[in-house]
Amino acid sequence: MRVEDLALRIDARLHLSAGSTGSEVGQAYAADTMSELIAHAAPDTLLVTSLNNTQLVRVAELMDVPGICLVGGANPGPDLLSLAEAAGTAILVCQDDLEQTCRRLESAGCVKVTRA
Amino acid sequence: MITVSYPISGGDFDSAGIATRMLKEQLARIGVGPKAMRRAMIASYEAEMNVVIHARVGTLWACVDRDKLDLEVADEGPGIPDVELALKEGWSTASSQARQMGFGAGMGLPNIRRNSDFFDIETRIGRGTRIRSTILLSSAGAAETPDRQEPWPPLVSVDGARCRSCMRCIFACPTTALRVRAGGPGIRNALCIGCTACMTACERSVYGLPGAEAPSREIPAGSVLVVPRGFLSGFPVTDSPLRVTGALREIGFAEVRLLDEWEQALRVSARARSLSGSAPRPFIPPFCPAVVSLVESRFPSLIPNLGPWLSPVEAAGEEFPLRPVAIVASCPAQMSLSRGVSLTGRLTVVSPAWLSELVRPLLASGRSFAETTDAADAPAWRTDAAAVPGELAVTGIRHVLAVLAEAEAGALGDVSLLDLTLCETGCNGSPLLCADPYLSLHRWERGGRIPAGGRPEAAAVPRRRPSAPRPGVRLDPDMGTAIAKLALIDTMTRSLPGRDCGACGAPTCAAFAEDVVMGRAAESCPYAAGSGGKRAAGRGEKLTEETQ
Repeated sequence: MRVEDLALRIDARLHLSAGSTGSEVGQAYAADTMSELIAHAAPDTLLVTSLNNTQLVRVAELMDVPGICLVGGANPGPDLLSLAEAAGTAILVCQDDLEQTCRRLESAGCVKVTRA
Repeated sequence: MITVSYPISGGDFDSAGIATRMLKEQLARIGVGPKAMRRAMIASYEAEMNVVIHARVGTLWACVDRDKLDLEVADEGPGIPDVELALKEGWSTASSQARQMGFGAGMGLPNIRRNSDFFDIETRIGRGTRIRSTILLSSAGAAETPDRQEPWPPLVSVDGARCRSCMRCIFACPTTALRVRAGGPGIRNALCIGCTACMTACERSVYGLPGAEAPSREIPAGSVLVVPRGFLSGFPVTDSPLRVTGALREIGFAEVRLLDEWEQALRVSARARSLSGSAPRPFIPPFCPAVVSLVESRFPSLIPNLGPWLSPVEAAGEEFPLRPVAIVASCPAQMSLSRGVSLTGRLTVVSPAWLSELVRPLLASGRSFAETTDAADAPAWRTDAAAVPGELAVTGIRHVLAVLAEAEAGALGDVSLLDLTLCETGCNGSPLLCADPYLSLHRWERGGRIPAGGRPEAAAVPRRRPSAPRPGVRLDPDMGTAIAKLALIDTMTRSLPGRDCGACGAPTCAAFAEDVVMGRAAESCPYAAGSGGKRAAGRGEKLTEETQ
């Protein structure tokens, strides 16, 4: 599923860049530790987390992840957004907490969701 | 082969991950596949974050070969008090800042190990940690650990065209690893311990260091050079060790350090352990790596007597995890061990001959070189601690073999510590160095003041893996067949004259019998009528015939 369509289905705010437009998401992985996120990241994985820092983008960039979904209405900083733009990583922001966001993704029915 | 290195700043979370990202760019350029890339990124990122979270400063080194990627992340930091604990999932000492960012879950080291085909961690409290990871590129995801012992790499190079079949070498080799037959000299690598016996015995320079003509890679400018002192004092008397040191700096080495520093550090530690009464008797510190191999192969009952430290050349390689280092190896064993210290190109091993060629034109030019200002400081290694009661220093293969045999027989009750080196007079006596050891020693005593002041004293480094008996070469993968072959070898050995004359190209009749049974040689004993296996000549009988 295209990241734009997914954002729409889970009612997430989307920060897109030229590099991330049209990225395909095949599955989602939710965790709050970097080690778990990197260990399960793949080129079709949307990382879902309540973390909010630039290292998320570093991990996404290294693992060719199409996007990161920040939960709890997080407010991504300008550093994170500019890094994400440069890396071609889509940033989604969901108002719900981690668990509810995962349920939304599951109910969207288009991606497999795994929780740490 | 491509080697790259990237600096890592401890505590700098803004720049964290950049070293791994730069590595990724390089790997992508040479077409590393997605599976291997994924594993490399996880291992590298986790190791990099380990430095950022826990250490002051570090370096990521990476070396890509056709079939594997070697990563090495070394840091200057507090070290890890309990590695076993640190390798357990969920254990962490990360700061609250790191934890808030999602780190410190105790998954970093397990993640690295899981994604490596070879994983190794070495740590020293108060000094730092080094993580090594190898990822096979051909079968990324291969679970098996590569066996670094097989096939046995050649420790000694052979130039067969120079050989005149004098057979001196086959008798000089302490592990019967050599054969000289019609096809020229050959070494059974599995038996070779990397000493210099064959080189000393051969007057035609048949044997040498593999790759001695040039280092395997370019030495980065600003490298630290570690040399045996015999190298510095191996030039004509007009070129003092200090002048040679100056010329080496002129070439581009930032620092010249003596291997003796680490030898002395080992000596101090060994003597302290011996004096404490906790060391076995006789205690055998690993001054000479070839002696360690000799004990592991020929005197395995003495393995518990070996000191639990790295040899000086290995310790020197460990000393500068953040800087490129070049080590001058004065024997094949040193060369092999030094190469094993780092797989990523941080460390280059060079031969004395190559470095001599490099420095000679400078010395011959008559130029004067800036003598270092710290030359007046007394190097720590020269303040020799007193020998412990019962300490015995032995050099030279013949003597070392005799002493080890006595030790194995339990006949050295009066010896507390054995300081053993296979080369005559110590590493200084290596045939690969330029001058005769006595001349070299004389020149050193006259002018051997070289810079060493103001630097921290080298320390003995604990050995990570204990010494273990060197596996013999299996006669056959199938045990039943191996037993049958062993019986054949035994029968044939008894049927041979027992002269151990070397005419067949093997140093002993037993070695020849094994070669025949294993298909490595034809039956060609000149004293056994062409059929060693059928002739029933006993040793005494044949000798009597010869005498008559």
